[in-house]
Amino acid sequence: MKGYDAVVSNRWVRLGAFLVVLVVLAVLPLVADPFTNQTISHIAVFAVAILGLNIVMGFTGQVSLGHSFFVGIGAYAAIIPIRDWWGGPLAEGAIVIGFVLSGLIPGVLGLLIALVTVRLRGLALAMVTIALPTIGLPLAQKFSDFTGGNEGISIRRLDYVGADGQVHKGNPFAAGPGLENDQWQYYIVIAIALAFFALAYFLVRGKYGRAFAIVRSNEAIASSMGVSPYRYKVLAFTIAAVYGGIAGFLLIVWGQFTSSETLAFHHSIDLVIASIVGGAGSIVGAVLGGVFYVTVSQIMNGLQLSIYTTLVQGVVIILILFLLPGGLASLPRTIRRLVRRGAAGHSVEAGHAADSASGNTKTQVQPSEERNT
Amino acid sequence: MKTTLSGRRAIAVAASVGAIALVLAGCARGGGDVAPTGEDTSAAVEPSPGITDTTLTFGISTPLTGATAGPGNCTVDGALAYFGTKNAEGGITFGDGKTRKIEIKSYDDEYNPEKSAANFNQMVADGVFAAGLGLGTPTNRAWREAAIEADVPQVLVMTGDPIFSDRTESPVQLGLVPIYQQEGAAFGEALVANGQPHKVAALYQNDDYGKGYLQGFKDAVAGNPNIEIVKELSYEPGPASSTPNYLEPQVTELAGTGADVFFQAVSVTPRVVENLAKAAAIGWTPIWFLPSNTASPGGVLTPAGVTETTYPGIYAVGFSEAAAAPPFAESEAGKAYFAAIAEYAQGPEQDGKAFPHCVWSWIGAQILEQAFEKMTEPTRDSFLDALYSIKGFDAQFAFGSIDTTVDGLPAIQTVSLQKFNGKGYTNVDVVG
Amino acid sequence: MPLLELVDVTAFYGPVQVLDGVSISVPEGGAVGILGANGAGKTTTLRAISGTVRAGGTIRYRDRSIRGLKPERVASLGIAHVPEGRGTLGNLTVRENLMVGAYLRKDHRQVATDVEYLLDLFPNLRERIRSNASALSGGEQQMLAVSRAFMAKPRLLILDEPSLGLAPSTARNVYDAIGRLRRESGIAMLVVEQNANLAFSVVDSVTVLETGRSVLSGTTAELRGDDDIRRAYLGG
Repeated sequence: MKGYDAVVSNRWVRLGAFLVVLVVLAVLPLVADPFTNQTISHIAVFAVAILGLNIVMGFTGQVSLGHSFFVGIGAYAAIIPIRDWWGGPLAEGAIVIGFVLSGLIPGVLGLLIALVTVRLRGLALAMVTIALPTIGLPLAQKFSDFTGGNEGISIRRLDYVGADGQVHKGNPFAAGPGLENDQWQYYIVIAIALAFFALAYFLVRGKYGRAFAIVRSNEAIASSMGVSPYRYKVLAFTIAAVYGGIAGFLLIVWGQFTSSETLAFHHSIDLVIASIVGGAGSIVGAVLGGVFYVTVSQIMNGLQLSIYTTLVQGVVIILILFLLPGGLASLPRTIRRLVRRGAAGHSVEAGHAADSASGNTKTQVQPSEERNT
Repeated sequence: MKTTLSGRRAIAVAASVGAIALVLAGCARGGGDVAPTGEDTSAAVEPSPGITDTTLTFGISTPLTGATAGPGNCTVDGALAYFGTKNAEGGITFGDGKTRKIEIKSYDDEYNPEKSAANFNQMVADGVFAAGLGLGTPTNRAWREAAIEADVPQVLVMTGDPIFSDRTESPVQLGLVPIYQQEGAAFGEALVANGQPHKVAALYQNDDYGKGYLQGFKDAVAGNPNIEIVKELSYEPGPASSTPNYLEPQVTELAGTGADVFFQAVSVTPRVVENLAKAAAIGWTPIWFLPSNTASPGGVLTPAGVTETTYPGIYAVGFSEAAAAPPFAESEAGKAYFAAIAEYAQGPEQDGKAFPHCVWSWIGAQILEQAFEKMTEPTRDSFLDALYSIKGFDAQFAFGSIDTTVDGLPAIQTVSLQKFNGKGYTNVDVVG
Repeated sequence: MPLLELVDVTAFYGPVQVLDGVSISVPEGGAVGILGANGAGKTTTLRAISGTVRAGGTIRYRDRSIRGLKPERVASLGIAHVPEGRGTLGNLTVRENLMVGAYLRKDHRQVATDVEYLLDLFPNLRERIRSNASALSGGEQQMLAVSRAFMAKPRLLILDEPSLGLAPSTARNVYDAIGRLRRESGIAMLVVEQNANLAFSVVDSVTVLETGRSVLSGTTAELRGDDDIRRAYLGG
């Protein structure tokens, strides 16, 4: 076991594994069929949304049941500039504006909401976050001239004037020569998702991550350590909102469509469930949550058993809650613990030690100097 | 030292994986996708995906779980029942002379547009020939343009959204059920037809649904001096409208106008029930108009305590026979329908009559069959040509005949105004 | 000039006045005990200093007023507070708790040295270094809480009843270690304690609170000779 641990925790091995993942992600879309690429992109969209939720819920310990609000607002912030400006003089610049706004607008809204609400705890905070989608949805429907309302906005076939002077229909996210649309959209989604995962990685590994962990664990101690719970909770909530918004942009890259339905409250619950299933206190958990969110229904569709999707999801959630409270991301740790417990005979003490020693969701508290000791 | 060694090894592994991957990329797709042509140029045309000499695969993306699961499962079950029966008889003889069985694949979208978009991707990957019959405006909208891009027919969708029947906007689409405007217009025309002066009060949901109904009605009564719309009130759809008694103040306000006709386009069933009870309670007894999805005798009128004599008339618009009505079950076609539902339906607790969508799906399946029998080549283009040229087809359970040739209108065009008779509805031509 | 000086500090919990003129002075490097019965205002006095309770009067630290500062600001000035009960982060390991204590520090090398120093001081913690804090015994948790606060390298360590809920021998061990910590580091301390014998083993002087008011102050030597104090707090 020691040898195995040494290999896994070796910095070079981790770097090598990361490079392998990068290379596979880069080459896969050229080989895989379109549906595989679309599915991976779809997973990446929700992994980013769930990652935001993990930062606010898993890492900082605040309840947020309104995450779909930020995803929906981000999707609007992305798609509306593209709808209105892409065919005009701004051309591809509209996409850049959409991208920036999809992070900025939810971020600012998240900041304002957090400044007012993070002093609330538990149920009160949950209620306020529930209010976001429940107010946002009817608002989006009321201003349907702008938002497309219930019918939504689709930008797959936008008018533009071609080189021949004629008006054509075009998809702003259509690929240039050499790539198929699904490949092009995959690369955009994966590149942005990777960038935001890297940001989150460095965030939670560093000073901020330690502060989040302290605030989550004990606010009184946080204060006594010079860490302002208020400031870091506002920060986490704002970051989560930005991640939600960026996921909204990625949703547009992936599907080129959004409607008021994206804001709906029950999607917040879907995201919370996916976060818990993947592992709320973990970055990898966000990816696993995205996999759960996207693939369970796809597999059930494939088996032509989708009327049982909810049932299967429910069973998975219950199993996770009982067997893997740390989510799927904690599976390797749990397996190692069980193996060690077996090896250590009946020594409960050893089990405890192993449990906490391999607590990979917690290592962000240690500064880098400590990590390889 | 050890670290460096294993580190180099890890990088070497990464590099080799990269190299292998690049080699794989060299023989990337395209190679597999392009079918060897050349040999068989004499054969008429390359068949579209999802069709062989013996089968055709049709996809349905619709809510199978969640709040809309009941009607959603019906949109699948009607087709399963119809084609299940046909398949058992050997299949359907297509216009190219080949007999094919129809395979229905269903995909749950939970009434979530993002899921329906993903479902479309999956349907393309699964090689469906065509897709449709599913219900829901945003969910069908979410892959409408993707279907156009991919040239996959998205047909006989169950939404009153007119865009699906607009041939310019939607070149590979067709709606099944009447658009909201048609229902509103049917009531307007029948109201004009009685020749009496009427004062109309309107309450509508402020979205494409409510506005569509009201617009259809207004267009039908436009320019008629007998009909005066004295007041219009609207409300925002959404969670607030699920609050009990949310719309009763509006009903009271409209009652104050003394209108003798109440045109109501509210899609929230409990609110409709309350409003029907409220108006009578405060002594306002107008003629009512209700949209087809909130006019069920068992689900709306009876719970509201409304009888035949409560109001001078409660009108709704129908376009198909109701499976719950006794004559339906006694007819030969009705018996066959229930038998097929019992045999082939997959939805939970499906009796074929709880929601009208089962019958609508059965009607849609008949229209598909018509197109299959007419299509002369195993291609989507040929299928769409055939589908768009059905005229004068009398489908079982549909009022009037099917006509798919009119740009801007869905396959089922004949709507009939119906008046509540205490138990069910009777078709009428004139209000009054 | 004292490191920390409280003059006529008042505080309220809603309408209830819990502090009504508390005056304490902690010299640089000194150790002061606060004695008093339950409800005398000992914990509230500490909270007033650390900024978790709104207070009136004068609270000066290194010749500047810290009254009304946010808790995290007070902490960043070098006052580390070990709250009543178990001041540990239960879902983090012992080592992680220690690192949390060093959160504001930039001298990473010295941090590692300090960790080793504390683990030498509390060998129990070294044994449990990879255990979750919640799995430690009460005494170990208290040692960890003190160590965590010490890791912040404060000028002033505020301890709220480190003996609470501990067996007498364990409490003795904790106080022995606190005493050694003080002697070796020269850190100033303000210690709330019900058990005056334990407190006297560490502090140089004592303030006695009664119903939110300072009623008596003096060095341990003076107070050991005071019959009233002996009877009330030192068990005869």
